[in-house]
Amino acid sequence: MEHVRNTSDFVDEVHVYEPHKASLPPLGPYLKEFWRRRRFAYEMSRSTQKASNFETALGTVWVVLNPLMLALVYYVLITILSGSASSKGATGELNLLHIVVGIFTWYYAQNAMSLGAVSVTMGGKLILNQAFPRALLPFSSVISAFIMYLPSIPVFLVIYLGFYLTDSSNTIPPLSASLVLLPVYLVILTVTSFGLAMVFGTMTVYFRDTSRFLGYLLRIWLYVTPVLYLPSKLLHHGLKGEILFYGNPLGTVIGSITALWEGQWPSVTYLLVSIAWAVVSLLLGAWLFISRERDFAVRL
Amino acid sequence: MQSDSDLAIRIENLWIRYRTTVEAAPTLKSTIIGLGRKETRKRQIRIVEAVQGFNLDIHNGSVIGVIGANGAGKSTLLRAIAGILPPTEGRITVNGRVSTLLALGVGFNGMLSGRENIVLGCLAAGLTREQIAQRYEVITEFADLGDFIDMPMRTYSSGMYSRLAFSVSIHMDPDILLIDEALSTGDAKFKERSFAKMEELVAQARTIVIVSHALGTVRDLCTEAVWMDKGRLIERGEPGEITDAYLRFVNVAARPTALEDV
Ligand SMILES: Nc1ncnc2c1ncn2[C@@H]1O[C@H](COP(=O)(O)OP(=O)(O)OP(=O)(O)O)[C@@H](O)[C@H]1O
Ligand SMILES: [Mg+2]
Repeated sequence: MEHVRNTSDFVDEVHVYEPHKASLPPLGPYLKEFWRRRRFAYEMSRSTQKASNFETALGTVWVVLNPLMLALVYYVLITILSGSASSKGATGELNLLHIVVGIFTWYYAQNAMSLGAVSVTMGGKLILNQAFPRALLPFSSVISAFIMYLPSIPVFLVIYLGFYLTDSSNTIPPLSASLVLLPVYLVILTVTSFGLAMVFGTMTVYFRDTSRFLGYLLRIWLYVTPVLYLPSKLLHHGLKGEILFYGNPLGTVIGSITALWEGQWPSVTYLLVSIAWAVVSLLLGAWLFISRERDFAVRL
Repeated sequence: MQSDSDLAIRIENLWIRYRTTVEAAPTLKSTIIGLGRKETRKRQIRIVEAVQGFNLDIHNGSVIGVIGANGAGKSTLLRAIAGILPPTEGRITVNGRVSTLLALGVGFNGMLSGRENIVLGCLAAGLTREQIAQRYEVITEFADLGDFIDMPMRTYSSGMYSRLAFSVSIHMDPDILLIDEALSTGDAKFKERSFAKMEELVAQARTIVIVSHALGTVRDLCTEAVWMDKGRLIERGEPGEITDAYLRFVNVAARPTALEDV
């Protein structure tokens, strides 16, 4: 312990608290503090997951099993709806693989958003008793979502190999070098989700039932995102489809990530649109959140 | 008079206003439903002036006791000094690192063990993992909770809870320690140890601000007392005199009950 200190230590940390005239606090110190306490976000996510039993073996299994079962449900539903039960075989398996990887990826974003939505209100006691950059709370939700997403990668690889090795008609494409881009797209998806998590986290402070509405919103959002079908299906619908696809912050990123797993190189347009949405989401979310966060303590 | 450089905390014309809506909690549903109707559109907003034009200079090394009736604004004042509540008007200048015993965020999650709450509280306060590792032993030893340190905090008694909170905040190596009502639930033995620890801090010219209804504590421990009522500073001065004045004001003779730490 550092019991010996200089007298100068007493003045090396001066805080001045004044009414905030500017809509944003000084960003430099804010980001510095945020970065200095990043470890808190990680520990926070780890312990809350532990508290909700994700750290037990069964919890981990459930985190993977839940989206996997949902993917199966959607696959059955879509096969029945499209009446293509006759053209089973490898095309069906290809559809299934697309849905599984799409749902896994979608769930990363969805978990980040729904955990982020309640992160501020759940951390109420902490917010009332400790001054720290509040954006660490939605950030820890994103970390939680990422930790929940990670085990799905090996699980998908196993499923893919199972299908690929038993595939006699050569319809399932081999994995290609394009997969090296996966980390790049995951970073883009993470940034986008973090921005959106901050938007919903702020909304929940002002409207406590946000997370209930978010449930419906996410359901619809999933259906307009090329998860249960290929992006080309949307784009065939002309301008309306293009707006739905490119105007969806998660559309091109998730479309690209599924393409990577199907042995394709995603188009440069997708990449640029994805990056643009990541930047827009992050800036919008951060502005909304950071400009209001000094109000949170009074409103919780 | 002491010089300005000797100031730990300077509060100038501080106003803090809470804005609360009267309806239980604002929801999207009620807002959407209310959109059509004009009369419900303007939510009933109640404004509470918790602190009203407060001025106070606190010097390094002083132990300030803040007393006053329930709802006087004492907790609000401490939260403002800690930088948690932004002032509505006025300015607070704090020289040095603040540690709050508004529980330090410790115990914010009852599902987690005391150990995990310590780590999280310290990380939120900006300590590194190495610094926490260094302090951890001392903190648990001082709190002296035995096996309970690894139990979920929802199983703690309120005394155990405040022992842990106190132990964490006092070992944060703070320049300024803010304590809100925390000592009243500790048992006699713990209270004595915490007094000793606080005296140690004061000897190093650290500053302590204590909010307490236990006037005996304020008399024993503080170098100065501040009496607050309805958000305003009524009087400051020698602890004995201020507590007496306060007791006269609330019309309670200095019976033992008022001095006891209830
Ligand atoms: N979150 C809040 N929203 C609205 N009003 C609040 C809030 N917190 C406190 N108040 C109001 O502000 C005033 C001061 O409250 P505060 O908690 O600072 O009092 P206190 O002096 O600490 O009281 P006590 O001795 O009971 O702890 C009270 O009138 C209270 O109703
Ligand atoms: Mg209080």
